Amino acid sequence: MAEKTIGRDIVPPDLVAKITGRARYAEDFRAEGMVFAKMLLSPMPHARVRRIDASEALRMEGVLGVLTAEDVPEVSTPSEPILTMEPVYEGEPILAVAAVDEATAAEAVERIVVDLEPLPFALDPLLSLRPDGPDARLEGNIYHIDDDVREMRTHKWAAADFDGAPEGRLPMGEPAFDWSIGDVAAGLEQADGIVEETLIHQSLTHHPMEPRSCMAYWQNGKLHVHVSTQSAARCRASLAGMLDMDMEDLVVVAEFCGGGFGSKITAHPTMAMTALLSQKVGRPVMLRVTRYEENYIGRARPGFQAWAKMGFRSDGRMTGLDLYIVQDQGPYGRSGDAFTAATVASLTYQPEHMRFRGVSVFTNTPPRSAQRAPGGAQIIGMLEPLVDKAARELGMDRVAIRRLNAPASDGWVGPNKGSLTSAYPKEALDKAAEIFGWEERIARSGQTNGTRVTGIGVGLSPFVGGSTGFDGLLVIRPDGKLYVHQGIGNLGTHSIADTARAASDLLDLAWEDVVVVWGDSARHQPWSSVQAGSQTIHAHTRANHAAATQAKRKLQEIAARDLGGSPNAYEVGDGRIFQRSNPGRGMTLARAAERAIELGGAYDGHELDEDLHAMTRASATALAGTGLVSAAKDTYPHDGSTWSWVVGMAEVAIDTETGALEIMEFTGVADCGTVVHPRSLAAQIHGGCIQGFGIARSQKWVYDPKWGVPFAKRFYTARPPGILDVPLSPRWGALDIPDPQTPVGARGIGEPPVGAGSAAITSAVADALGGECLCRTPLTTDVILAAIEGTEKPYRPLETHV
Amino acid sequence: MDDVEIILDAGPKTYSRRTFIKGVIAAGAAVSASGYLFRGPGLLSARPTAQGSVERLITLSVNGQQRRVDVLPHETLAMTLRYKLGLTGTKLGCDRAECGACTVLIDGVNHYSCSMLTHQVRGRQITTIEGLAAADGTLHPVQQAVVDEGGFQCAFCAPGFVMSMAAMVATNPDPTREEAAHALSGNLCRCGDYNKILNCAMRAAELSRTTA
Amino acid sequence: MAMMRDMIPGFELFQPADIDDAVELLDRHGSDAWVLAGGLDSFDWFKDRIKRPKAVIELGAIGELTGIRETDDGGLEIGAMTSLADVAAHPAIRERFGLLADAAGLVATPQIRNQGTLGGNLCQDTRCWYYRSGWPCYRAGGNTCYAAAPQAMNREHCVLGASRCVAVNPADTAPAVVALDAKMVIRSRGGERVVDADDFFIGPAIDITRMTVLEPGDLLTSVRIPADWANATFYFEKVRDRVAWDFALVSVASALKVEGGTIRDVRLAVNGVAPYPMRLDMVEQAVVGQRQSEEVAANAGIMAIQRARPLRHNDYKVPLMRNLVRRALRETA
Repeated sequence: MAEKTIGRDIVPPDLVAKITGRARYAEDFRAEGMVFAKMLLSPMPHARVRRIDASEALRMEGVLGVLTAEDVPEVSTPSEPILTMEPVYEGEPILAVAAVDEATAAEAVERIVVDLEPLPFALDPLLSLRPDGPDARLEGNIYHIDDDVREMRTHKWAAADFDGAPEGRLPMGEPAFDWSIGDVAAGLEQADGIVEETLIHQSLTHHPMEPRSCMAYWQNGKLHVHVSTQSAARCRASLAGMLDMDMEDLVVVAEFCGGGFGSKITAHPTMAMTALLSQKVGRPVMLRVTRYEENYIGRARPGFQAWAKMGFRSDGRMTGLDLYIVQDQGPYGRSGDAFTAATVASLTYQPEHMRFRGVSVFTNTPPRSAQRAPGGAQIIGMLEPLVDKAARELGMDRVAIRRLNAPASDGWVGPNKGSLTSAYPKEALDKAAEIFGWEERIARSGQTNGTRVTGIGVGLSPFVGGSTGFDGLLVIRPDGKLYVHQGIGNLGTHSIADTARAASDLLDLAWEDVVVVWGDSARHQPWSSVQAGSQTIHAHTRANHAAATQAKRKLQEIAARDLGGSPNAYEVGDGRIFQRSNPGRGMTLARAAERAIELGGAYDGHELDEDLHAMTRASATALAGTGLVSAAKDTYPHDGSTWSWVVGMAEVAIDTETGALEIMEFTGVADCGTVVHPRSLAAQIHGGCIQGFGIARSQKWVYDPKWGVPFAKRFYTARPPGILDVPLSPRWGALDIPDPQTPVGARGIGEPPVGAGSAAITSAVADALGGECLCRTPLTTDVILAAIEGTEKPYRPLETHV
Repeated sequence: MDDVEIILDAGPKTYSRRTFIKGVIAAGAAVSASGYLFRGPGLLSARPTAQGSVERLITLSVNGQQRRVDVLPHETLAMTLRYKLGLTGTKLGCDRAECGACTVLIDGVNHYSCSMLTHQVRGRQITTIEGLAAADGTLHPVQQAVVDEGGFQCAFCAPGFVMSMAAMVATNPDPTREEAAHALSGNLCRCGDYNKILNCAMRAAELSRTTA
Repeated sequence: MAMMRDMIPGFELFQPADIDDAVELLDRHGSDAWVLAGGLDSFDWFKDRIKRPKAVIELGAIGELTGIRETDDGGLEIGAMTSLADVAAHPAIRERFGLLADAAGLVATPQIRNQGTLGGNLCQDTRCWYYRSGWPCYRAGGNTCYAAAPQAMNREHCVLGASRCVAVNPADTAPAVVALDAKMVIRSRGGERVVDADDFFIGPAIDITRMTVLEPGDLLTSVRIPADWANATFYFEKVRDRVAWDFALVSVASALKVEGGTIRDVRLAVNGVAPYPMRLDMVEQAVVGQRQSEEVAANAGIMAIQRARPLRHNDYKVPLMRNLVRRALRETA
């Protein structure tokens, strides 16, 4: 028997390429005759283009063409266009120039005259909700969605709704959406203790290390694009949609992705822009996106201005949760963050009664998208210090109050009180407390050493951990190796390898005999989940398990046909298919692959299951005849929704004379089902928590409210955490309890650590400050020092982008 | 958009001095013919060369090889490596000395190649990520350490981190974990894989001690 | 109009081999010239396409600008092109003038310290984001200060020393050289002149477009550290949001001579609070002759901030400066 790979560390198949310079990311490709593009970005937060005069630029030698909004497909408001005549944030691309070299393209952009008529702009959702407040869009300030209507609307509150605003109380006028469980007023009435706060969570850019550069060319009617995307197959599908072209005419190369965190889930407008510019000038075009541009076009997490009121019985049980979220939507679309935030809160605390109200308001700031744990990271970082406050008032341990309210597997989630596949947050809290040494450390809470005071924090953070229903595609070739075709992306989670283990273990193959095929759509991909939302390990261990189950059946049938007996009498192992009762009677998988080709039909991919997605069918058909081809859809039963959990525990030290915050110790513990790849799981936990640290303590935007333009556009002003901003030796753990409703037992892990990291810090800082919740992120040096010193705060009540 | 006037008509082409200058630059054995980024001489550099200013055709010592290359006065080393010498392992994450993805070694010392002019490194030994492994493919101890520890996630930062680790083990082959963190503090990892990166750095030091 | 960034406009590059040639080139090109040392500040300006010099004079080939020498009076002379890493690591600096080694060692990141120079760090421009974004403010030759406007974002701006412009000096080594009574050696076609560090940095009241006394044609060639403060008790602290990369929110540098518990002499400078590194001579005078104590340190902190005038978003700098001055004078410092 081959050693099972699930549960042990492997060397990812792409690692050596990544550290020898051989791995090619989008900007590393070249094509014969390649030219360069540069974008002209809006210098205003909101304007109308009255006139574009590119004549001088086009007279320059080496300038090949200009692409404007007139050359790109139109979209309906509030969708994001590829190029625009009504820029709705500073930095939005208005046009793109192609030239023989980048210096000329840059010079040409500077020589294009764009006549802009400034329009009113809104940076702060609360200002836009005022009776006379500005709207970010000409069509209104919210996008209304209900069962019957989807339309832009102007949503304003009454002046009286803002009465408490100068004191920092969130105005709460007419919501645009809401839901309730039970009667929140009754729930709060039953409470023995109430906590209530206004909470500010700022927007922040994703800033993956690799900017979204793109290279595109057309050859024989086919579009070839080299892109940076999280999800290979789904990027191809969405880019084909954006360009209104047949997916068969689109080759997407996305073997490596230098990080996405939700900002590169599928196609981005710059991909279409590059493709259309290439088409227009008849040359391969490289759009080298800079960090400066990435700051504008690279997506951001929606900020929240929120209010929460929690009621607790004396035993710590949450009787009621009343939540209001004003979401900063940016200029386009409708983010799910606020809804997910409410769902996550309902799951985490299982309140007996709950009400959620909210409104998502357009602003003239960069476009929002999902950012790792969208909504969940915000709300957990915001609410956990309130739970601490309640625990203090009730005289309870802060871990104990979370343990009491957290669900078990029979818990529920969301407005419809949906069921869970399994949930072990209580056990995760116990394990984290043990690894972190909660009991010993909590004794140090509030203690001072010189000018430094210690704070201990805890955060409990769930997020959706998987989807279902995608396809697996495998080939056992006559070389005896298993080729696992992956349509998911390769952004560093090692999912391309780790989800393949479901197939290799089931077929009992040594890991050395597994070839993972990924990243290039010309190499045949199955229909796959997006590589986002912690879906992949769940969705694609299932899909590959399904395909491997089918492959095993085909091997059994081939063996039975050639060697006699019933197919069920055969077993796979050590690269062979053999009779269980007579292991000497069998054949190698290499031989079986040859036989599959000879037999044809379903065995080598010439006949396929009816329920496969068209993309999988096309890929399997292209592979037909190359070996034993197995393509199967995940139809495993799945009842309820799948959530993973991370507990974060932190010890921080705050210098009371400077406000400097140091994270001394950190422990992250996951409940994410079966552990597939321990080292990679640890990296996801730590890495996600560190992104949470960035949210909690350093990352934000800074906008000048008068001019409507941003300043914190550079890494040194946006402040993502560096290696010296995190503990030297963080610890981790995982429960390794299989989820019963998925064959491998694994749930996703990408998202939950972010909220755990953020909340552990917001909780620990409040603890260090004697239980005072600053109720705002990020908790930068100046914010902390102002709180300690009692001086004028470096922000105004409710203020955001500051 | 009906009321928007868009002028995309170039009118008559005028010829700049670039056309003239093009004939002056001897491409010869230089690799500029295959260079992409500055295919032409670049508009603003088209003025006649001033007395005493640098010669554009220079020899660089990269990964132990002498490379003749046509370099503009204002060209950064990262651009020369990536677009003229085909060494795309050196990444550009910010182009502003803020992320370290472009880190290379100059005479063994780690530098941000995005923030130095190529003309500043004439006559110095440049080592990029492509030049770290031995000619026979044997990985450098730092690279082997990364394989041993399964380092990095998206790995766009990896070439830069690996170069900083190489600089570190050359000067401090027995660092504490804290010293290693300080040595790597000029490199940013947005995946937040710092713990594993530090494990790699400590393993790299160990390997470099035993192989030295 | 266009917000084009990250493409350096063309320039002529000169790499003179000695100081005389460099000075000659500076003289020849006048205000069209740009001195390039490590380049970490310069490249930002170039890549933002805001500063477009015609002639860039790169100093890397001038050997006489690099290195650390003992001087006859027992002090040190540090070439302006000496890297910050070399300054931070040099045995004599660490042993006798540890204040400067500490300050240089806290600049940005290892790569920046390997390339950035002492001269370049001292001469760098302010990081005010309005000014660095190319806005036509006073410092850029315009007639307003955007950062001081009622709604402006000025968390990192000054609380002291403003004169129309409210930007701060960002150099970590600047308060250290001020506290060490360093002498700045400047060459031009007219010859050599030596300027006290405290006079080298100028505020907007003197010239709103410059951070230092250097004018076109001038070249900072070395920094002389006199023996006066060798082996004094030093304190340097830089408070910032992240441990690497970030500029100081406020920094403090002090040199103390204490005999029998009494402060015999002191130098005290802070940066990040004013458009220039601010030597606190009033505080110095007040503490000299006093016994070193928590009370003296606390009073010094209070005295230091007496004239502070915070902007909309930077009140915190006032207690931060007060506390850092207190720490710099504490016995435990």
